[in-house]
Amino acid sequence: MTFPLPSLRIAVHASGVAAAYAGRMLGGMGAQVLLIEPPQGTPLRREPPFLPGGGQVSALFAYLSHGASFQSFDLTNEAGQAALHALLSQSDIFLDDTPLAAREALGLDEAAIAARHPGLIHVSVLPFGATGEKAHWKGEEINLQHASGEGYLLPNGLSIEQFPDRPPVKIHGHFAEMQGGIAAALGALAASRVRPEIGGQYVDISCQDAMLSVGAFAIQRFGDGQVEHRVERSFRYGGVLPCADGFVELLTLEQRQWDGLVELLGRPEWALDPALEDSLERSRRGPELNKHIRAWAAVRKVEDIVREGQKLSVPLAKYNTPAEVLRDPHERERGLFQPVEVPGAGMLDMLVSPVQFDGASSSFGQSTL
Amino acid sequence: MTRPLTGIRIADFTVHNAGPFCTNLLSQLGAEVIKIESAVRPDAFRKPHPVYGRMGPATFDQVASTKLSVRLNLKKPEAVALAKRLVAISDVAAESFRPGVLDRLGLGYEVLRAVKHDIVLLAVSSSGQYGPDKHFAGYAPLFGAWGGLSDLTGYADGPPVEMRHVMDHTVGMNSAVAVLAALHRRDATGEGALVDVSAREVASSLCGEALLLAAAGGEPKRMGNDHPRMAPHGVYPCLGEDRWVSIAVASDAEWRALAGIIGVSDARFASEAARHGLRGEIDALVARWTATLPADEAAARLQAVGIAAHASWDTAVLTADQHLRTRGALVEVQEPGGKCRAAVKVPMRLSKGADIGIQRGTPGLGEHEDYVYGELLGMGRAERQALEESEVIY
Repeated sequence: MTFPLPSLRIAVHASGVAAAYAGRMLGGMGAQVLLIEPPQGTPLRREPPFLPGGGQVSALFAYLSHGASFQSFDLTNEAGQAALHALLSQSDIFLDDTPLAAREALGLDEAAIAARHPGLIHVSVLPFGATGEKAHWKGEEINLQHASGEGYLLPNGLSIEQFPDRPPVKIHGHFAEMQGGIAAALGALAASRVRPEIGGQYVDISCQDAMLSVGAFAIQRFGDGQVEHRVERSFRYGGVLPCADGFVELLTLEQRQWDGLVELLGRPEWALDPALEDSLERSRRGPELNKHIRAWAAVRKVEDIVREGQKLSVPLAKYNTPAEVLRDPHERERGLFQPVEVPGAGMLDMLVSPVQFDGASSSFGQSTL
Repeated sequence: MTRPLTGIRIADFTVHNAGPFCTNLLSQLGAEVIKIESAVRPDAFRKPHPVYGRMGPATFDQVASTKLSVRLNLKKPEAVALAKRLVAISDVAAESFRPGVLDRLGLGYEVLRAVKHDIVLLAVSSSGQYGPDKHFAGYAPLFGAWGGLSDLTGYADGPPVEMRHVMDHTVGMNSAVAVLAALHRRDATGEGALVDVSAREVASSLCGEALLLAAAGGEPKRMGNDHPRMAPHGVYPCLGEDRWVSIAVASDAEWRALAGIIGVSDARFASEAARHGLRGEIDALVARWTATLPADEAAARLQAVGIAAHASWDTAVLTADQHLRTRGALVEVQEPGGKCRAAVKVPMRLSKGADIGIQRGTPGLGEHEDYVYGELLGMGRAERQALEESEVIY
C-alpha cells in the first residue's frame, strides 16, 4: 500500500495554526512536510496549552507539527533568503502565513515568489485572505468565529436556556483556523492537479472564508428569508440531556427514530398521544416533550441510555471527555491514536488522521522524515 | 482554460449534509457531479425539518447547486445495474450510507472496482467503515459529542455545547481533501482507493491538541471564551440589542494600545500572566468601553492600532459585507425559479485557470437524465421509458 501523497514536497512557513494545520493534513496523507522556522523558532512552539511536567512543551505545536521535519532560516538577511529559495526550488507547495505587510521585506510576496519559482504552488493563508478590504486585519480564532457567523449562533439549547444573557460562546480551540488549514490543503491539491497544464500559481486562502463556507447553512437560511439566532436555532426537543452521571446528545430527525425513542422511553402515556404522530405537532410542542425526556434521562446512566437507544436506532451519543475518547474501544480498533515520541515529553498517544485510505489510518511513521 | 477538476466525474450517492457538501465543493472546482436520488426516498434535506422548527425545505440548495440530478430507485435490481454503469464512467463514487448498506445494495467497493478498476470510493459515515460502533446512526451534534469537541465547548460552569452544521460541513471539506489526495495517487500509480472518513474522528481531529494533553495526563476542560494565554480575550457587549464584539489581545504592546484607547492605567495589568489572573476585572473594563460603541466601529478602532477584533455578525450583516463580496466568498445564485439567494463559494481564490465556483442553482429531481442517461450512457428513449414505468428510473 502507498499513501496518496509521498511524492509531494511541502514547505510550510507558519506562525499560526491554519497554515501549520494544512501541512499536517497533507503530511498525514503522505506528503513530505518541512517546517521553516526563524532562528528563535516559530511562535507556535510557545503557544499553550503546555503538556504537564513544567517543561513548556506546547501540546498545540506537538499536534500541529507531528510528522514534519524542521529547518531554521534567518529571512532577515540575504543568505537566509537564498537558502529558502534553494529549498523552494525543490518544493511543490509553499504554505505561508506571513502578514501581507511583512512579506516584501522577506522576499515572500506573490510577485517575488512567482518570478523565481514559476512552477511552485504558493498558498497564502491569512485570517481574512490576501485580497479585499480586510486583507491587513488581524484575526485570532475568536474573531474568526464571529466574523463568519457561527460565533453569533452559539450556544443553543440547554446552554442558552441556562445562560440567556451571557455573550455567545466560542467553539473549543482553533476550529475556524483549522477550517482555513483544511481549505488551504484543498487549494494546494486543487492547484497541483492543473500544474502540469498551467504551471504554478498563487492560492489565496482566508480563514474567514473557510469558516463561512462550513457555516453555509446559515447563509442558505438567510436566502430563504430567515436570520438565524442562537435561541431560535435550538432543537425543538432532544439536544443535550443531563443524565445521572454525565450528558448525552439526542437528535431524532426521522419518524422511525421518534418511534424508537418512544420505545426507549418505555411508551409513556404522554408520548402515545396520537397527535404526536405528526412531526409538525411534535415541533410545536417541543418544550413540553423535552420536559418529559429530560426527567426520564436525569435518573438514568449515560451508558445505559446510549446502549439501549442505539439498539433501537435512536440517534444518541455520549458526551465523551478527551480521556474517554482516548480509551474508546472503537477508536482503539481503528488506530485513531498511535504512540509518538514527543520531544521533551516522551511517548504519547497522538491522533494521527481522521481519514483512512484502504483501511490504514495514517502515513505517519512510515514516511522517511 | 480548465478548472482543477475538469474531466473528473463523480457518481454521488451521498445524502444529508456532510457528503453532499464535499461533492458540492468538488463540483465548484470543476468536477461533473451526478447526484443520484429517488422520488421513493428523496434526500431528507429536500424536505422540511420540523425538529429544527423549520417547516420549509432546508439546506438542500447550497449543497445541490452545480450538480446534475438523475433519479434511480436503488431498491430495484435493474437500478443497481444502472448505478454500476454510472460508476463505470466515473472517476469517483461517493456515498454516506450506514456502513454495510452499499454492500447490501450490491454496490460495495469490490463490486465497484470490478466495473471500474481505479475507482476512488469516498465513504462518509458517523463512525467509519469498521470498528465496534460502525453501525451507529449520527448527525453533527452526535459527532461532536463522541469526538470530544463538544465536551470541551461551552461555559466553564455550564453543560457541553452541541456542534451544528459547521461540523457536517467540515467533515465534507476534510473528505474533499482526501478525494483529491486519492486522485493524485491514482494519476501517479493507476491505483484507486477506498477513502474512509469518520465524522466523529474529524471532530476529534479538531481538538487534537486537547486529546494530546489528556494523553499526557492533563485534564482539558470547557473554558467558555477564555484563552489559555491571552487576556483580555472574549466577546463584549456593544451598543444595541444583542450586539457584540470579539477581542483578542495577543501581546503586551497590544495591551498598552488597548489600555490607551479604553482609558485604563493600572500597573497590575502590565504582564500577560498578571492580566490572565485578573481577566475578570479587565473584562469588565473592556466591556465598559465597548458598550458605548457600535460593534463594527469598536472593531475598526481596535484594528487601527493593531489589535485583533471583529464584530459578532448575524447573517444579515455578513451577507452584505463588502470584503467577502470583493473576495467572491459570497455570491448570488439564481435558482431555476428566478429567485436569487446568497451562497458560499468554495473557499479559495486561484490566480490561474477558469473561474471556479457555483455554476448553476438547485437541480430539479431528475433534471439531467437526457444528458446522463441519454448522452453519457447512450440509452434510447424506449429503454428509459421502460425503466421509468417499472419504477427503476423513479
